[in-house]
Amino acid sequence: MNAVEVRGLTKRYGNVQALQGIDLSVPEGMIFGLLGANGAGKSTLIKALVGALKPNSGDWQVLGLNPLRDQAKLRALIGYMPQGVALYEDLSARENLRFFGSAHGVPELEQRIGEALEFTELTNRADHAVYGFSGGMKKRVSLACALLHKPRMLLLDEPTAAVDPHLKVRSWQLFRELANAGTTLFISTHLMDEALLCDRLAIQQAGQILIVDTPQAILEHGQTQLTIQQAGQTSTHQIASTPSALAESLAGYGLNPAVQAIALQPDSLETIVLRMLQKSEVAQ
Amino acid sequence: MSRVLIVAKRVLTQLRHDKRLLGLSVMAPLLIIYLLKIFFDTMPKGFNNARYIMPITAFMVHFLAFLLCAIVLVQERTAGTLERMFINGFRRIEIIGGYVLGYILLATFQAIIALAEALWLFDLSYAWADLAMLFGVIWLLAITSVMLGMFISTFARHEGQVFPFIPLIILPSVFLSGLLINPEQLPTWANWLGHAFPLFYANDAIQEIIGKTPSASVIWTNIVILLGYGLFLLTLASRTLKDVE
Repeated sequence: MNAVEVRGLTKRYGNVQALQGIDLSVPEGMIFGLLGANGAGKSTLIKALVGALKPNSGDWQVLGLNPLRDQAKLRALIGYMPQGVALYEDLSARENLRFFGSAHGVPELEQRIGEALEFTELTNRADHAVYGFSGGMKKRVSLACALLHKPRMLLLDEPTAAVDPHLKVRSWQLFRELANAGTTLFISTHLMDEALLCDRLAIQQAGQILIVDTPQAILEHGQTQLTIQQAGQTSTHQIASTPSALAESLAGYGLNPAVQAIALQPDSLETIVLRMLQKSEVAQ
Repeated sequence: MSRVLIVAKRVLTQLRHDKRLLGLSVMAPLLIIYLLKIFFDTMPKGFNNARYIMPITAFMVHFLAFLLCAIVLVQERTAGTLERMFINGFRRIEIIGGYVLGYILLATFQAIIALAEALWLFDLSYAWADLAMLFGVIWLLAITSVMLGMFISTFARHEGQVFPFIPLIILPSVFLSGLLINPEQLPTWANWLGHAFPLFYANDAIQEIIGKTPSASVIWTNIVILLGYGLFLLTLASRTLKDVE
């Protein structure tokens, strides 16, 4: 069964058509990314999936349930992290978790709170008021709130927006751990480098899904500029962004014809900066 | 019921943490009653202070309960915590019940200290039964005010938008509810308009309780209307507090 099945979903706010006939299938147990610019309709789609919004038309199911008709059943199975932190800032991280966790009737709640705090590396600040936390820490409290009842599916709306590179890397490690344990993650983002970390990716623009595929397959839709210097001469070629196209192009420059594919995976600028920061911390 | 208590406990925990808000909401009525004392001390001897003091005490509890509840609920909406409560499985009636319960405790505390200060400063004395009735009316008005705040909060997109409702709803009730003059002296339309405010019924009951020949039927009629008003606002609030956009 697919975790999400959406057919022809539309939502209009006044004159703005936020969702224009969305079709989407998300298999269970993977990290599914929804990539799009601000205003593309990502949050609207997520809100429709969690039953916080009534679409104008279309069929949509999450974990086999209708988000509006089966609201109570579905909400016990999903965890939702909104784009804003949506926490009580006067309360401590632990008090926030206790409040939101108690709604689900989580058994052995205090133990689960301890586990969620540990998982999100917040144990040391658990009893501090949230208003003194950094943006990244608030996001982690928000994530911990969504995790408390061990949901089958997590819907995270831009979970790492405005989060520093270290926390971002740590968050994605957490997401991967959850996916490995069988949780389906539906994550919206506008950050390209994050999108590459998903198992499957949908690109959304102006309320429409442009493409759904693996990040690698989407990258292969692009072109790579290949520049070769040989005997003092520089030649530039536009080639397809596939490992086989690179091998094919280099064959003309004497590459062993037995080599069929060459794939390069350069670090992103973020990864490079993060590594530099880590090196500097070790040196200090 | 247990989830109503969870919401109420959270509201109270928030209030406990927000010492500035808690302090101001308790100190403000005390200060205003003291200022009233200074003002009424300028009146000629034999002036009927009580006719104004008790309704004004009720008004302050009404105003603060309305304002606090409306602002905090708008904050819930803008911060996304209201949406999160719904998605975490809280139901509308549980949220409303929790808010009413949480704010009623604060309103009860406000009503007790405001009433005690007014009695002490103005040297007023009533039979225990009358005092209990006065407290009951103020308390009931506070519940209605929480509901009114909850209902009004649905029309505001941010905290600032709550304030225009003060001159629109709260201030007219001061002039039309019989707080300052007998509403029968007003033009007929204004007298009728006064009946639209919960303060009208609270004031009518209070004037009767502290009057020389109190009529139990007038007092109870006003209490029942106030109760009905509260239930009407509760229905409105529960219809306007939407869990789905």
